[in-house]
Amino acid sequence: MMRPSVKPRVAFFDFASCEGCQLQVINLEESVIDLIDIVDVVSFREAMKEHSDDYDIAFVEGSIMRPMDAERLKKIRERAKILVALGACACIGGINALRNRYSVEHVKKVVYGDADIEGNPFFDVFHTKAVGDVVDVDYYVYGCPISRDELAKVITSLALGKKPEIPNYPVCVECKKKENVCIFEKGGFCLGPVTRAGCGAICPTNGSGCEGCRGLVDNPNTDSELDVLKKYGLTVEDALGRFDLFCYKYKGEVSK
Amino acid sequence: MRVIKKEDFKEFVNLLIGDDTKEVVGVKAKGGKFVYDELSSADELRLDFDVTVLSPKKYFMPPVETLLRYDLSSDFKVEPVNEVTPLIIIGIHPYDLIALQQLETVFRDTYPDANHLLKLERSILIGTNMQNVSPHSFAASMGTATTRYGYDLMLTDIGDSYYIEIGSDRGEDLLERYARVSKPDKTHEQRFESVINGIESKFQKALNFPPEELPSILARTYDSKLWAEKAEKCLSCGSCNLVCPTCYCFDVQDVTELNLRRGERIRTWDGCLLEDFAKVATGENFREDRASRYRHRFMRKGKFLYERFGFIACVGCGRCASGCLPDIADPVEIYNTLKEEAL
Amino acid sequence: MTRENITIYTPRPATIKRIEQMTENEKLFEIALDDNMPLGHNPGQFVEVSIMGIGEAPISISSPPTKTDGFELCVRAVGNVTKAMHAMNVGDKLGIRGPFGNGFNTSMLKGRDLLFICGGLGFAPMRSLINYVLAYRRDYGEVAILYGCKRPCDLLFADEVRRWKSMDGILDHHLTVDEVCEGESWEHDIGVITTLIPKTKFDPETTYALVCGPPVMYRYVIKSLKERGMPDDHIIVSLERRMKCGLGKCGHCQINSTYVCQDGPVFVYSEIKDLQEAL
Repeated sequence: MMRPSVKPRVAFFDFASCEGCQLQVINLEESVIDLIDIVDVVSFREAMKEHSDDYDIAFVEGSIMRPMDAERLKKIRERAKILVALGACACIGGINALRNRYSVEHVKKVVYGDADIEGNPFFDVFHTKAVGDVVDVDYYVYGCPISRDELAKVITSLALGKKPEIPNYPVCVECKKKENVCIFEKGGFCLGPVTRAGCGAICPTNGSGCEGCRGLVDNPNTDSELDVLKKYGLTVEDALGRFDLFCYKYKGEVSK
Repeated sequence: MRVIKKEDFKEFVNLLIGDDTKEVVGVKAKGGKFVYDELSSADELRLDFDVTVLSPKKYFMPPVETLLRYDLSSDFKVEPVNEVTPLIIIGIHPYDLIALQQLETVFRDTYPDANHLLKLERSILIGTNMQNVSPHSFAASMGTATTRYGYDLMLTDIGDSYYIEIGSDRGEDLLERYARVSKPDKTHEQRFESVINGIESKFQKALNFPPEELPSILARTYDSKLWAEKAEKCLSCGSCNLVCPTCYCFDVQDVTELNLRRGERIRTWDGCLLEDFAKVATGENFREDRASRYRHRFMRKGKFLYERFGFIACVGCGRCASGCLPDIADPVEIYNTLKEEAL
Repeated sequence: MTRENITIYTPRPATIKRIEQMTENEKLFEIALDDNMPLGHNPGQFVEVSIMGIGEAPISISSPPTKTDGFELCVRAVGNVTKAMHAMNVGDKLGIRGPFGNGFNTSMLKGRDLLFICGGLGFAPMRSLINYVLAYRRDYGEVAILYGCKRPCDLLFADEVRRWKSMDGILDHHLTVDEVCEGESWEHDIGVITTLIPKTKFDPETTYALVCGPPVMYRYVIKSLKERGMPDDHIIVSLERRMKCGLGKCGHCQINSTYVCQDGPVFVYSEIKDLQEAL
């Protein structure tokens, strides 16, 4: 294969998020030069003034909270040949999905109290949705925040016209390859056995258990994971609670 | 045979470290466990370890290894890569030495794999007999608690000294050049004999039958209900594969630099317990359910590789059992249960 | 690059000489090694095709060994490597390792009557053997060919296949498709390939069946052949598995103690009928 001569046009978009995943793009540092050498970035609010609606690949960060977000996302989908969800909020709802534990009315009441927001589209929220709940997503770059290495891998793959190889095996694989002592053996708790790898087991490597920010593997054995959490000392409630932070989306399955 | 006083052994190790021709690695403590790692001083060496998290396999089949380098700025530019760091590894238990021999057999078979074999050829293996035994280990049952081959030197702690068995000219040469050793006297021989004879009694776990029976037991228990029962708890996390000293399956990927100019074809550890292990591009998965993957591993260790290479591919280190969070990977438990079923 | 440096994982450079669009999803690539050496394969063997930056994939060889000025691969665009191949042009370079696997035992088949049963892309390796047999026609007995695919437009090597029908020395020849869509013309059978077996002319005592197709096909075809009285050791199958190395190392293609990449992909049914997970 020869290095492609045509550069794909790339745009970045954000919805409800901390924009930290786009910051990871900027954090590529010297490699940003390589990045703009292989793709044309035509829209990136966090890094440039120019904007164009003519793009091949759309990277979308953030979760979808309102009908107006959904409409904007659908337009992005129409324009993009390839749509990539960027980060936990976009891929699985992320932290924003924490509020799905409550009714929309309750959430509005707690946040806005008696303020007059009725009929104002900016406050017309629904239950938090991942990007894939609203439009078709071609590829996912998981994580909170995304891993720069994985992002680079996805971009190089797309530039070469290749489907990015995103792991469908759990974090345990990366821990074992790094010869980490298992978090459970150190007295901690970890969602690594059911969480999709690709982060290089960064949290366990640095001593804390996996919180599941990359979402679960395709067929997680959550019953067994719950048993393990209980075996190491969590109550059923606490064990289930481990899924709240990032994996609320899966909780219906877990607690069945 | 030689003996070396413990303080002389330390000096020997420090001399090896000081000599730059080979990197010296040995067993060190890490987070309450033991690992093989580069030694900066003999004081770090812990020959009293029970088991290491990973086996020394990681030096001959690294978790991630470059096979080729390519350059996309011209039509087809590929360069084979075989990066070899000559090592002296100090403190390999007999079961891990035997596991390395098994891997060598696999990588030498039909198409010799230079990426593995050259690393092995350029390294010196210094074994050590077990002072402590992991509660999950059953090496004595597998005939791998001691070994008469597979090492350049073999150390046995006999109190104030190490008794040294010489397994190769390279080992002997190493002693001649770096170590103050003497010939063992009668007392040394007696102490050595008694240490060796005492090893078997240290094991808490044992197979209830000789391992030679495994292939026929497994032949009769392919349809056992045990596979599905146990696999119900399987996380498909591959931990049992990844810590195994005899597992050698790998995946291959091309990783291109962000500049799209250069890249590497790498191989990385894979595991037959992982969901997509046997899945082809069209989507067909030849071992789709957990139970068939779970069974495959036990069958492979106790029967399939025996039929192919003539050895039982389990050396009884117990790493899979201690690494399995739902506690379903212990070969002793599984094989003993199957033995009962096969009667 | 000196010879000593070449590892078993190093692909040999090769060039695409010709590309033919066969169906919507399948293209035929004629490839020649840059050192001009013939590939030296047996029918039924495969190569590992490398596109650097994309990866490597095992692909069975479609041309007979009698063609020595290059070899042909019939490739369906399904994975990264095969899709990248489809985007390539004549003159582009790729890497080749192999040939690997056992291939069909052409000497054992000498003097035998042969029944070829091919489903879908399973026709690709079989075409190598059929052409080999036709090239040495007098060495073999009667030849019958059954070939099934999803729709008329999926028929691979359509002209060649139809030419065989009118050839001397072809005892029987049937084509079938699962369905015919509106506007498509099809003068042959409709239905799964097993429906062809009862009406095909062959003597089960003297005939060897060679079967290659999608995984789901084997069990039904073997059942039909046995119903016609064909002995197990007359049924020869070519199996597909995931492969990374092609060299019996990576472990992906293992069926029990069998490595498909080394011991196969061609197996005599009597030898694998008790091999769990094989079919």
